[in-house]
Amino acid sequence: MVDNKISSAPVKYDNSFAKEIYALENGHYAQICMQCGMCAVSCATHDIMDYSPRRLFNLVRVGKKEEVMRSNTMWMCTACCMCKVRCPRGIPLVDVMHDLKAMAIKQGYVDYPHAAFHQAFWQEAFSRGRVFEGGIMARFILKRGLGEIKKLLALGMKDMGMGMLKHGRVPLVPPRKIKGLKELQQIIQRAQALQEKEAK
Amino acid sequence: MRYSIYPGCTMEGPALFFLKATEAVAEALGMHLDEIPDWNCCGASEVSGVVGEFTQQVMTARNLAIAEAKGQDVLVACSSCYMNMGLTNKHFKDDPHFAQMANEALAAGGLKYNGTLKVRQIVDILVNDIGLDKIKARVKKPLTGLKVAGYVGCQTVRALPWEYDDPERPVLLDQLIEALGATAVPFPMKARCCGSSHAIAQTEIVLEHSKEILESAASNGASMLVTNCPMCQMNLDAFRGMINQVHKTNLTLPILFFTQLMAIAFDLPPAVAGLKHCVVSPYEVLAPLGVGK
Amino acid sequence: MAKKTGVFICSGCGIGESLDVDALVKVAAKECKAPVCKTNPFFCGAEGVELIKQDIAAGELDCILVVGCSNRVNYNAFDFGPSVTVERVNIREQVAWSHEPNDEDTQAMAEDIIRMFMAKAKTVEAPVPYIVEDLSKTIMVVGGGMAGMTAAIESAKANYQVVLVEKEASLGGWLNKLYKLAPLKTPFTSLEDTNLEARINEINSNPNIKVYTSANIEKTAGGPGLFDVTIKQNGSEISERVGAIVLATGAVPYDPEKLGHLGFGTSPNVITQSMFEEIAKKGTIARPSDGKEVKKIAFIQCAGSRDAERLPYCSAACCVESMKQALYLKEQDSEAQAYVFYKDIRSSGQYEHFYKAAQTAGVIFVKGDVTGVSAGNGGTLVIEADDILMGEKTMADELDLIVLANGMVPTTAFTEGAYVGCGVQVPEPEAGAEAAAAADAPVPAAPIIKSNILNLVYRQGPELPDLKYGFPDSHYICFPYETRRTGIYAAGSVRRPMDMVQAIEDATGAALKAIQCVEMTAQGAAVHPRAGDTSLPDFQLNRCTQCKRCTDECPFGAINEDEKGNPLINPTRCRRCSTCMGACPERIISFKNYSVPMIGNMLKAFEVPEEDEEKPRILIFACENDAIPAIDMAGINRLQYNPWVRIIPVRCLGSLSLVWINDAMSRGVDGVLLLGCKHGDDYQCHFMKGSELAEIRLSKVSETLDRLGLESERVQAKTISIMDYEEIPKMLAEFMEKIEDLGPNPMKGF
Repeated sequence: MVDNKISSAPVKYDNSFAKEIYALENGHYAQICMQCGMCAVSCATHDIMDYSPRRLFNLVRVGKKEEVMRSNTMWMCTACCMCKVRCPRGIPLVDVMHDLKAMAIKQGYVDYPHAAFHQAFWQEAFSRGRVFEGGIMARFILKRGLGEIKKLLALGMKDMGMGMLKHGRVPLVPPRKIKGLKELQQIIQRAQALQEKEAK
Repeated sequence: MRYSIYPGCTMEGPALFFLKATEAVAEALGMHLDEIPDWNCCGASEVSGVVGEFTQQVMTARNLAIAEAKGQDVLVACSSCYMNMGLTNKHFKDDPHFAQMANEALAAGGLKYNGTLKVRQIVDILVNDIGLDKIKARVKKPLTGLKVAGYVGCQTVRALPWEYDDPERPVLLDQLIEALGATAVPFPMKARCCGSSHAIAQTEIVLEHSKEILESAASNGASMLVTNCPMCQMNLDAFRGMINQVHKTNLTLPILFFTQLMAIAFDLPPAVAGLKHCVVSPYEVLAPLGVGK
Repeated sequence: MAKKTGVFICSGCGIGESLDVDALVKVAAKECKAPVCKTNPFFCGAEGVELIKQDIAAGELDCILVVGCSNRVNYNAFDFGPSVTVERVNIREQVAWSHEPNDEDTQAMAEDIIRMFMAKAKTVEAPVPYIVEDLSKTIMVVGGGMAGMTAAIESAKANYQVVLVEKEASLGGWLNKLYKLAPLKTPFTSLEDTNLEARINEINSNPNIKVYTSANIEKTAGGPGLFDVTIKQNGSEISERVGAIVLATGAVPYDPEKLGHLGFGTSPNVITQSMFEEIAKKGTIARPSDGKEVKKIAFIQCAGSRDAERLPYCSAACCVESMKQALYLKEQDSEAQAYVFYKDIRSSGQYEHFYKAAQTAGVIFVKGDVTGVSAGNGGTLVIEADDILMGEKTMADELDLIVLANGMVPTTAFTEGAYVGCGVQVPEPEAGAEAAAAADAPVPAAPIIKSNILNLVYRQGPELPDLKYGFPDSHYICFPYETRRTGIYAAGSVRRPMDMVQAIEDATGAALKAIQCVEMTAQGAAVHPRAGDTSLPDFQLNRCTQCKRCTDECPFGAINEDEKGNPLINPTRCRRCSTCMGACPERIISFKNYSVPMIGNMLKAFEVPEEDEEKPRILIFACENDAIPAIDMAGINRLQYNPWVRIIPVRCLGSLSLVWINDAMSRGVDGVLLLGCKHGDDYQCHFMKGSELAEIRLSKVSETLDRLGLESERVQAKTISIMDYEEIPKMLAEFMEKIEDLGPNPMKGF
């Protein structure tokens, strides 16, 4: 949870952070937010977010970079798309959240386990062409350390895994890498280069 | 009717039995499915949060570029895969600048996508292409008396809202359930999120949301829940022990993929229905219909 | 006097299944002796109508009772020309659809309605239209701004002669002061040129439009079709006769001197929206203090507006104007920062797109209350605010310029330059003072602000009555453009605060109303809401006591007095509401098809059950404008209500005569309900104060009832709007319960 103490000095509006956000791939959508709050009431995980999407966009507008980047809001998004469907301004909030996640990872705001999970998923997809649950888990644990395992075990994850195993749902051997992996990686690298060029 | 099928990673892993049931049901309905050769991961809800939307969509587009040779509608069952494939496809059609850039990237792998395909959700295809009448006619063992909650979840109806169903009050899955002779049970959480891929990074979310969905379905009289999303199925089924442990509940509602239910109604061999892969046992609920192990 | 009345009872739409139609025929033909009485299952169809026409021709009928559906439907089917009076007797919505089928009470209800209308038909006559000599169909437009120019052009395009009067030396009004306009057309995202020259050329080159600039209106006499206007231009007086008037004199900015709390007057860099237009028009947007180019600007919305101490209303255009002005700065320097501090953004209609466009251009909108404006470093300014969405105190500093969105006040709200439209005591018009002094003139006339615009030669005062805050409209929702002076229509920001797009639409609408007015007046017919009614009040002057109630209570200033103090009607101003009829204590005012005795006959025609029948009889006087439609709607929705009620439609509750209540009570009717429109701030009354007048008159009935030894609760007034039709059954049930508690009317059987 982000420290959200109200200091006695008035908050000064500063638009440099907003400019940074609005320059992201889908960031420009954030500037047409009219602060109605439809996203907040539609959100599946609003109650555990530090800030609702509406508040987050307002913080962007005011210029509170640390609050935004350190908040859990984008990481709590489940991409269920309810806000996107309902937003009267047509903002694809899910995509803006993805941009914020990518920016957070890039700038080192990676305290949430979700950041590690996202990276683990990406690495798995990039290096194999397909993802394998076991592979993602291994990469995730590698990033987060054994503490995550303890947490999962406390919730009963071991029984869950055994249950899956018993019902023949855990392939022990990972699926083979795709044949065109090299081409896929070349495509991805070209895409990233193009994306960077576009951002400039 | 011929379709290209994009199974997606979970359907060759923990949800392999969904793919098997789907293939068998498709065959029973006279559909021919061609798997997209050497398909790759769509990126799910994660990849664009690391490398951005453009890169993820280009990655997804590789599958479309490969599939384009056949020119068939692309059938997708998994919700996240459907979202990414559908959105990418739409992007190609709506935004020439994107299409040009994406093709520039695809060219690095010797590919090109002209945006000619249609990406279709399996429910859409079953109701709108095959038709409820044909499905009804194929039913050999009507599921009379079975009360089924059709859980639609989120992305299939909301990624491309109004593409084939209402994004908040979907009806097609219930129509399919009714076509099998079962009773579709309305319940308020029908299209709410199960917690999705938070299963690992923040399991509590999944446990909480899944509990609410299960309670909502059960308290409205459902004796079974069907879904068409591998993630939802896993969260509601495989995580049941954790849900009951953490929330001190005793929720016993079995969770099936809806093509499994179709396989039962079509009276396909038990191996095809793949009921043994369900962690929460469905046998008790199905016993009155004469379905055993 | 109607000689021959034909009764045509329709059995379609479920009437035949619910009622004994043969018995109804007996009531009409035998009991009421109608010379012709026919039934048909489909009278509104071509064959049915033909049957009626044949009977009119054969029997020389001059009055027709169509017993069937409501007069709100099929009115064209049952129009048999001006010489045949048609009364619609509603046994469909009000009987068959809203009561138990084939029940004796339902049957009794239908029979009574026929008796009532047969009684009315005895004295009803076809009205004779009042045809004006020397009628003018010219439209005069007062004010040459966006609304006025539009009204002139639109009227001229419809082939009407137009007289356009503008007080300034050139046309254009507010457009003269603007650098650019907010978008007027799709996609509503970019700024537009004012195109003033082209607009003026269009006016000047139109042969139907005669323009008077640098001109004032000395006086306006007469009424619709007959307005005699004296225009003063360059010291000379010109007379014009016109048929109708569009008032489009616009609004002026709210006085910024009253905005010291937002920094006005503390720095030359705190300016108003109109001052900002001047700066932008000059070329470079720079600080007035030192000419430095503006890099950071803030707009403060609702500067004066939506402020209980200043302008309680929303000025409607300022949000969009600020967006536009912020875009001026972005046009000059896309890196310049613009903040808009707002209460609520009200970019109505298509301007939502403009709001989005401003956001996309980088204008930042802050929902918050500005708590202070002060000086900062280097000649800059600082705004402190309570940011509502942040829930924190915030500040914007290094501002080069602050623009106050200071709202607008209508030109009709000033007397000799002093703003009297809002919160200031409006001097009572002389006639009003006189009327107020009379103890029996209970509803004060609407105040009239002497704004020196039209200078009406009306007994009631020289300008239009003020609805609120100095705006001269009469009813924003139901009758836009209409003022309380027939034939004078307000358009643009003088009517209510509005932006240019709305002003254009408004002016077009008002022009159309003005055209309708001259055309209806030419036919001797009323304008909205009794459009087409050709009846007029007749005064039996030999019995007039010169009490002036009719002149005072006429909502439209239609009645003057002659030198002896007798009422003198201006027929073309009359809206046929019959408020004068209800007002007259001597009952000397009547219409050919609506009068005190006519309604009196109706309420004497229905049967009043004996005490031992234990069926209380309730009489309802229902206003034709909202209450009758509501009752019909209840029927259309098949809501069931008490069958012991008898309903008499009245033109307006303002036409209610107390003698009716007296008569009903004397007959042994157990209760009387007045169903009228809502009054007060959100009044629904189509004639301004009808239901209010009725209630005030009713307060005097208690005395009468006491004299008769009756409980005054037996007579009640209720208000209802058409949307509340679902309330009807409950409302009647509650009243019935009350009457049952009181027991039978002791006058029964006397």
